[in-house]
Amino acid sequence: MIQCDNLTKRFGNFTAVDRVSFSVQKRSIFGFLGPNGSGKSTVIRMLCGILEPSDGMGRIAGHDVSDETNAIKGQLGYMSQKFSLYDELTVNENLLFYARLYGIHGEAMKTRRDELIALAHLGPYVDRRAALLSGGWKQRLAMACALVHKPSVLFLDEPTAGIDPVARRELWDLLFELSSTGMTLFVTTHYMDEAERCSHVGYIYMSRLIVCGAPYELKKLPAVNPPGTRRLEVACDHVTLGLRALRPLDGVRAATAFGQSMHLLVEETLPEETIRETLQAVGIHNVEIRTIAPSLEDVFVALTGQFTGGQS
Amino acid sequence: MFPMPKFLRGFRAILYKEFITILRDRTTLYFMFFPPLVQIIAFGFALDNDVKHMAMAVYNEDRTTESRQLVDAFVNTQTFRVVKEVTSAAELEAMVRQGKAYVGLQIPPDFTRKLRAGQKADVQVVIDGSSSTIALQALNTALGVAFQQSVGILLSDSGRRELPVEVRPQVLYNPSMRAPNFFVPGVIGTALQIATVFAAAMSIVRERERGTLENLFVSPMSRWGLMLGKLVPYLCISMTMALFLFTILRWVFFVPIHGSLVMLFVAALVYIFALVSLGLLVSTRARSQNEALQITMTIMLPSIFFSGFIFPRETMPWIFYAFSAVLPATYFIELMRAIILRGAGFLEFWRHLLILAVMGVALFSLCALRFKRKIG
Repeated sequence: MIQCDNLTKRFGNFTAVDRVSFSVQKRSIFGFLGPNGSGKSTVIRMLCGILEPSDGMGRIAGHDVSDETNAIKGQLGYMSQKFSLYDELTVNENLLFYARLYGIHGEAMKTRRDELIALAHLGPYVDRRAALLSGGWKQRLAMACALVHKPSVLFLDEPTAGIDPVARRELWDLLFELSSTGMTLFVTTHYMDEAERCSHVGYIYMSRLIVCGAPYELKKLPAVNPPGTRRLEVACDHVTLGLRALRPLDGVRAATAFGQSMHLLVEETLPEETIRETLQAVGIHNVEIRTIAPSLEDVFVALTGQFTGGQS
Repeated sequence: MFPMPKFLRGFRAILYKEFITILRDRTTLYFMFFPPLVQIIAFGFALDNDVKHMAMAVYNEDRTTESRQLVDAFVNTQTFRVVKEVTSAAELEAMVRQGKAYVGLQIPPDFTRKLRAGQKADVQVVIDGSSSTIALQALNTALGVAFQQSVGILLSDSGRRELPVEVRPQVLYNPSMRAPNFFVPGVIGTALQIATVFAAAMSIVRERERGTLENLFVSPMSRWGLMLGKLVPYLCISMTMALFLFTILRWVFFVPIHGSLVMLFVAALVYIFALVSLGLLVSTRARSQNEALQITMTIMLPSIFFSGFIFPRETMPWIFYAFSAVLPATYFIELMRAIILRGAGFLEFWRHLLILAVMGVALFSLCALRFKRKIG
């Protein structure tokens, strides 16, 4: 459905997106991750046909995004990063405006509006000005507007940035609902728990796409699970103190704090008893240890380390 | 519902949205209506260069009926009013120097004696020359008073009843030579220009700043659809403005409209079309609202000086004259004076109308054709 082939964007001397290639299957939810300024929005803008790629090509449903812009417009919906609907217009008027913009008039326009109000549960706010909606409701309205012409691909640029956890979960429920109707979703996010919910993820770092694939496949990558190692979760009191004691220990490759516990990457030969003894030596007693699978965050941390190591 | 031609896609959507946003946006409405109203009222009253009742100090050393009649003759012109009778030449000079009087009139003690003896009687008039318009008028009026007094005496001496030569001037189109008749039609031109160009210049760049333009680019909207959808609402609001300004012209400043009202509004429509197009062009070029503001100011300021609004174009050096020829305001102000004051008909001013129309179409096409539906 979406295809990128060495997609590149340069602004003067700065390369914002560097030879990015990936493809997204129809009906999948593709999570696009990466730190601020890594080029996520630039990729989306190029795929939506509003920013000219410097090199390479992108395709939406087989149409070239830089040559066949008019052909892709009917196919895609776009929800930009900052809330960009008209503040002076009410929810109802914003929906009618977008319907007209996509050439939907008369009865069809009203039917479509009612469908979208029902889909996004905007009913109670129909006559409220967009400026007076809270963050979560603004995002729902923006999404409803982006769906007005029934696109087959929906791009969402950080749809959950800055909204509360309940609204965030509800928005994701909506995304799954859309995905079940056969729509392809392309979502950028900072949240790892959101990334875990995607059918596929791509991680962009310093303008380069480092990795792309299904979360369960990425967790099996050899770079994430070096041979002869295992991942342990160690739950105990005084995590900071524990980390300081464990890091110099032979056989501990990496140690990170995770709330009231630590995640360790250790050599298989390192017995759990050694860990317990080391912690007891600094006065930590109630220790629980269990083996865990890597999280997506572990995946990205490992791959980023490998990437920067390879760069320098 | 008629189908929209392909090149106008999005027109109805933009039109619908623009009308709602403009009518709900108090600040835009305020800035479109308030400054032009203040401008026409302020300029209409202030730009009156008929100087009346200017302060005059009198040092009358003669103190006779004749000398008092001379002072009265000065006051009767309505150009002067006596603010103080002083008692020394030094005091008279001080009054003018301190700005308490524009004019000092000194009548020497032998004024009546010399007059009766048939000799030349001198009267001294001191004028503050720091404002040339005022000084010139004071001088002309003073000379006029002296001339009239002299002629009166000569006539009675010679026994003739009439002047040997008399010029009978007939001033056409503005017989009372009222300044508002000349200035107010010009003020309408500049007032409309400021409000319209500013508002239109903000319209697209504001959407660029807010990020809503990106969503429009993703949609199948055409650039002609966008531009026309932006043009029409501003055209309507500025025409309402023009209606207000014409009402003020007629009923506050009592300027008689000699020409056809229809032509007046046609001229305003064509002019406003050119102005909105100019504003939209600025808006498509500017990267921020601030930049749009600065570009607009750069265009506006010279047009106030060079459009013939205050200074007649005919007396300008050739370079300014040539510059004024590219300003829409120049043609509109000439059209207004032709229609309102001279009652000129279509055949006499169609050239100006055509030039304005061509400017409008050219600016509008430029802004649609050069507009790219891409960012960056």
